[in-house]
Amino acid sequence: MFRKAKKSLLGAGEKPARKGIRSWLKIQVESEGYQPPRGGVILLQVLVGLLFFVFVVRFWYLQMHRGADFAQQAQNNRLRIERIFAPRGRIMDDQGKVLADNRTAYGLSLVREDCPDIPATLAQISAWSGIPLPQIWDKFRQDRFKVKSFEPLLMITDIDFDLVARIESEIYAWPGLEIVVRTKRSYPEKDLFAHVLGYVAEANEQEMAADSALAMGDLVGKQGLELELEKQLRGRKGLYDVEVDAHSRVLGKFLREEPRGGKEIRLSLDRDLQEAAWNALGGEAGCVVVMEPDTGKLRALVTSPAYDNNLFAAGISQRDWDALRTNSRYPLQNRVIQSVYPPGSVWKLVVAAMLLERGVNPRESVQCTGQVKLGNQIFRCWKRGGHGAQDMQSALINSCDVYFYQMGERMGIDKLEEFAKASGFGRPTGIDLPHEKSGLVPSKEWKRRRFGRPWVRGETYNVSIGQGYTLVTPVQMAVFVSGLLNGGELLKPQLLDDAQREVKGRIPAKASTLNFVVEAMRKTAGGGTARVVGRKDADMGGKTGTAQVVKLKMAANDRRLRTHEMEYAQRDHAWITTWGVKDGKSYVVVVMVEHGGGGSSVAGPVARKVYDHLFGPDPNAPAAPVVQAPASPGERAD
Amino acid sequence: MDKSLLSYINWGLLACMLLLYVVGVGNLYSASGTRVETGLAFNSFYQRQIIWGLCGLACMLLAMTFDYRQLRNLAWPFFLLTLLLLLLVPIAGKTVYGAKRWISLGFMSIQPSELAKLSVLVLAARLLARDSLPLGWKDFMSVLFICLLPCALIITQPDLGTTMLILLILAGMILFHGLRGYVLKTCLLAVPCVGAFMWFVGMHDYQRQRILTFLDPTTDPRGTGYHIIQSRIAIGSGELWGKGFKEGTQSQLRFLPERHSDFAVAVFGEEWGFVGCVALVTLFCLFLLSIFSTAVQAKDRFGSMLVVGVFFYFFWQILINMGMVIGIMPVVGIPLPFISYGGSATVVNFTLLGIVLNVSMRRFMFKG
Repeated sequence: MFRKAKKSLLGAGEKPARKGIRSWLKIQVESEGYQPPRGGVILLQVLVGLLFFVFVVRFWYLQMHRGADFAQQAQNNRLRIERIFAPRGRIMDDQGKVLADNRTAYGLSLVREDCPDIPATLAQISAWSGIPLPQIWDKFRQDRFKVKSFEPLLMITDIDFDLVARIESEIYAWPGLEIVVRTKRSYPEKDLFAHVLGYVAEANEQEMAADSALAMGDLVGKQGLELELEKQLRGRKGLYDVEVDAHSRVLGKFLREEPRGGKEIRLSLDRDLQEAAWNALGGEAGCVVVMEPDTGKLRALVTSPAYDNNLFAAGISQRDWDALRTNSRYPLQNRVIQSVYPPGSVWKLVVAAMLLERGVNPRESVQCTGQVKLGNQIFRCWKRGGHGAQDMQSALINSCDVYFYQMGERMGIDKLEEFAKASGFGRPTGIDLPHEKSGLVPSKEWKRRRFGRPWVRGETYNVSIGQGYTLVTPVQMAVFVSGLLNGGELLKPQLLDDAQREVKGRIPAKASTLNFVVEAMRKTAGGGTARVVGRKDADMGGKTGTAQVVKLKMAANDRRLRTHEMEYAQRDHAWITTWGVKDGKSYVVVVMVEHGGGGSSVAGPVARKVYDHLFGPDPNAPAAPVVQAPASPGERAD
Repeated sequence: MDKSLLSYINWGLLACMLLLYVVGVGNLYSASGTRVETGLAFNSFYQRQIIWGLCGLACMLLAMTFDYRQLRNLAWPFFLLTLLLLLLVPIAGKTVYGAKRWISLGFMSIQPSELAKLSVLVLAARLLARDSLPLGWKDFMSVLFICLLPCALIITQPDLGTTMLILLILAGMILFHGLRGYVLKTCLLAVPCVGAFMWFVGMHDYQRQRILTFLDPTTDPRGTGYHIIQSRIAIGSGELWGKGFKEGTQSQLRFLPERHSDFAVAVFGEEWGFVGCVALVTLFCLFLLSIFSTAVQAKDRFGSMLVVGVFFYFFWQILINMGMVIGIMPVVGIPLPFISYGGSATVVNFTLLGIVLNVSMRRFMFKG
């Protein structure tokens, strides 16, 4: 083929080559008048023309038509925005004592792109921190795609200072690792304000998706005020324009926007009062609300047992979390707003006010013989022997059940429901805390919907003394009692020092009605079931309640079991709702002790200690603490 | 050298070429700059390019001293020598970046495939200069098969870019010379078939990937598509007037890959904008047209074919390289003459232009 081709191309038109180098090198001269092929000439011209045309059009498209777009992209390439963390606003009590603070924490982060050997680096992190390697790998795999390869991926946080120093001295050997400084939240009062403050933790994916200002590793409020006041506390991040090259090397930093710290929040709560109330509860499961009836401001909001919210802020371990979650005493529950209880006898305040508004003569007496029969059902008064003739005031002071059975029955459930709902029960109070419960005011309609059965009369009996289906939260109770004192206004319970008074509703009752109930409470504290809180140096009022959790348990000899004879979960809830006025300052204190037993014997002393803190120790008090023993065996003062 | 010869020289071509060279060196100077914390740091690419350019000019002068018609006699020995060297590559070659393209001579390395471009060009010019008739099947096939021999050796190195360039130069020369109608039609039909064959059999995965990425660079923004995306950003962000000399952020911050070699013109586009790019394209077109004018004015067919070969040598490189950089051609490792850094390429470019000038000088001379 090769030869043949050579022959066909070289054979014709050329003279046979002569021998010798000289002749071989001789230049062959073509005939004159060479004309380039016409088609070829046109082809070349067209090609050059096309080249010019196509390129100019393309350059026009890239540089003129889309130039601004590409210029922006080049700018984006060049400048990277780096965030400067804004300090989160601190939270303080009414005296300026810090309840939620920021502290510096060191973390170790990994920039994947700069890290030549990720497995070895992770092993080194494990060696430094003592965290098992598989756990480090899990963290790495989990978070790897949440940040870009040139962005730092936070591997461990909250490294103690000695370890930081050690890592600092060895880090040069580990490209891609860097120590980062972040602020962390700390709660110096731990359990004491855990439920009020809640806690912050790193934002999860849903939160980041919902809020563009959040980035990986940012702290965000998850519970309590930290969640509720997130917008104010967070502040705004500052921005650096960072000029970088294609390898993310930083070449310059220009401040574009200063960070703005979050707002400092001052609460209306008093840390010392909170502690006094906490100590007064003495570890019982329960809660204390202290509220100013005129302003709605809360002065103490204690719930027990609690948890250390620092655990969450630092990133809670699975073990700690499981322990909290499965604890039978529910330390995560904010009992003031998230737990609903039958109100027991404190409910009689609501019923009495309703009776007055419905025209019942307060002087009208009911004969209490210790029990009432309805069909073959017997409804007992807490006092087996009966109270004898009771008008409305003595029925409140003595907490006579029979009076309220009969009066409640006379009014009917509908009127009671209407009044209770108007008085703030069955709906949230609007407190600035998440997950507030509504409680329950039962009605005929509700029962039909819930159980598919009609209302029966006996149920009205129970509801009239705060049993049955009725459920309230302690904070609702505090709002109601405040309403009795401030002329009927149902105020939003406020946690912030600078909060404006906010009226959420009105108790539908005349001033005379409110005065009657307040006077009855004053007498109850003076010598009735709530005398445990009574004191000479202050104007006091109160009403106790012992709410049955289960149907009455009777011992074999037909007496009620004493508290210590019952299973914990079956013991009664102890309530006391009180108010006190001294030197022009008035407070409402509501105490609820879960499964505590009698209201006057268990909840009463707690309230008393709170007043001792508010008003100073009672100068007239007997040396020994006043604990009301049951009036007679088998009965408990209610 | 006859003094009268100088008066016939294609001064326009010389001017275009020197201007392009100066633009190229200036652009390389800018492309060498990388931004560091303290300002701009320059590496030595532009200095080396100046030295290579001087070597190239020397070779160009050398290529002008003898009568180009001597090349006609040297075509075959030159071709056979090239084949021999290409055959030596798999045996004695050294491997760089996974491809065996170089033969080390101890003091320097040579790339026989570079030589192949020249020898195929000269041999094709000789073969096609035989007569003026459009090629029939027989002659067409002869030229094709002779030139396919070195191509077959080069593509196994592997070096798709050079193979393609040789074939394209050849195709250009054949088209210029003219084909019989039926041969042309058959070829037009055959091209898609050969293309399909290459796609499924002849290509490496990375080559296929490049073409796919060319069609849609966003499919692989961090990998193969990165070059195209960043290069388009660089050029586009130049807008009308450009960012100014030594002001290109894309290149100085190293977002633009291969900014000295294959993507050098993107640096130019970023810094000089649409105005500069149109000027550069115009300059290239004038450059090509002045080569073209020599091809038309040449006194014999061999000289004309030689110049046409050189024309296509430059034409294809300009088209492929700039087309790649502005995103209308797939990414193929072909440099842009005078603008991209490259020592041997600069020398070869100047030498070839020396031959063109040689032809232009001797267009009125008949005796050798």
